[in-house]
Amino acid sequence: MNEEQDQVLVRRTLRGDKKAFEMIVRKYQQPLLNYVGRTVGERELALDFTQDVFVRAYSSLRSFDPRYKFSTWLFRIASNLIIDHWRKKKLPTFSLSEPLGQDEDCLTLDVPDNEPPVGRKFELGELRQRIDLALEKLPGPLRELFVWRHVNDLSYEEMAEIKGLPVGTIKNRVFQAKEMLRRILQEMS
Amino acid sequence: MNCIRINDIYEFIEGSLAPERKEEMERHLSVCLGCRQAVEDRKLIAGAASSLAPFAVPDNFTDLVMARIAPAKALSPAWLIILASFSSLLAVGSVVLIAAGRNVIETALQASHSIWEYAKSAALFLAKAVTLLSLAGKAIRLLLESVTKGLSLADSLVSPGLQFGLLVVMTVLIISLALAARKKISLGD
Repeated sequence: MNEEQDQVLVRRTLRGDKKAFEMIVRKYQQPLLNYVGRTVGERELALDFTQDVFVRAYSSLRSFDPRYKFSTWLFRIASNLIIDHWRKKKLPTFSLSEPLGQDEDCLTLDVPDNEPPVGRKFELGELRQRIDLALEKLPGPLRELFVWRHVNDLSYEEMAEIKGLPVGTIKNRVFQAKEMLRRILQEMS
Repeated sequence: MNCIRINDIYEFIEGSLAPERKEEMERHLSVCLGCRQAVEDRKLIAGAASSLAPFAVPDNFTDLVMARIAPAKALSPAWLIILASFSSLLAVGSVVLIAAGRNVIETALQASHSIWEYAKSAALFLAKAVTLLSLAGKAIRLLLESVTKGLSLADSLVSPGLQFGLLVVMTVLIISLALAARKKISLGD
């Protein structure tokens, strides 16, 4: 995503050029909807939330610090909105900087003998469908990171900037999310 | 080398292992079928997750967002001019009063008292005028209703031919009276 172009569009919007903001919406509506949709699971809710993200971004555009990437700022607004939604719905959520309990050590284990196949077991189309279902069972904060990494193709540095956490912590949580998702797929099959 | 840890598999897939560690891994994978399959399985899942179908963005999405964006709440220049003029007038008035040796607060209180009295009188006058107008309206309505009823009664009693005759006689009478009156006025009676 071209950062320089974003900064120009932001400056034009701040000068009152609504067309510039329209271009921002057109540029980010697909990646934001993909992220929000895969994270909250419901299409209609995702559409409403994605609209809300742009409305909030427009109303607080003056608080955007141009030293940071505009795309990460948008994703942060979306992430805060989703976390508020989880809290209102009393859905389980946790801080990514806290240990995951018994799942914390899943990455330090050796590959077990005779590990059952998961990815190799299905055709690509079926595997995608199963990943869609397994994502819903992944804890929200880990699901969010998994979606950013695989659906939005964000770097660990970008994710760290959004969440305000060290890159190492984020990378570790993404690997844990991947391993937990693999385990869920294994249980589903 | 013993069998590899899960964490190393993800680092290996992402290509983020140090060169020596990467070579060590490759050597191990060439001889260990279990670890090779473990890597392959995770690669397949990651590939499938990265190619999930995007959420369809409705055609009118941008329009919906733009419709929700409120115009910037700023005072219009016209309002600013009025506000500035009023403030200036107030300031100049105060200076003049002080220079003339008048107590500004006392004068302001007197002025506000007079304005209040005027406003009270105007409100009373307005209320009385509304009452009178309403009564006049009712009287006119009653009169018109009576005339309409009278005419409809006459219409049912007198034949159309006779009605025409009466209309002609009345017209001639009115014209004669008007002419006679004009003649009298011109003679100076």
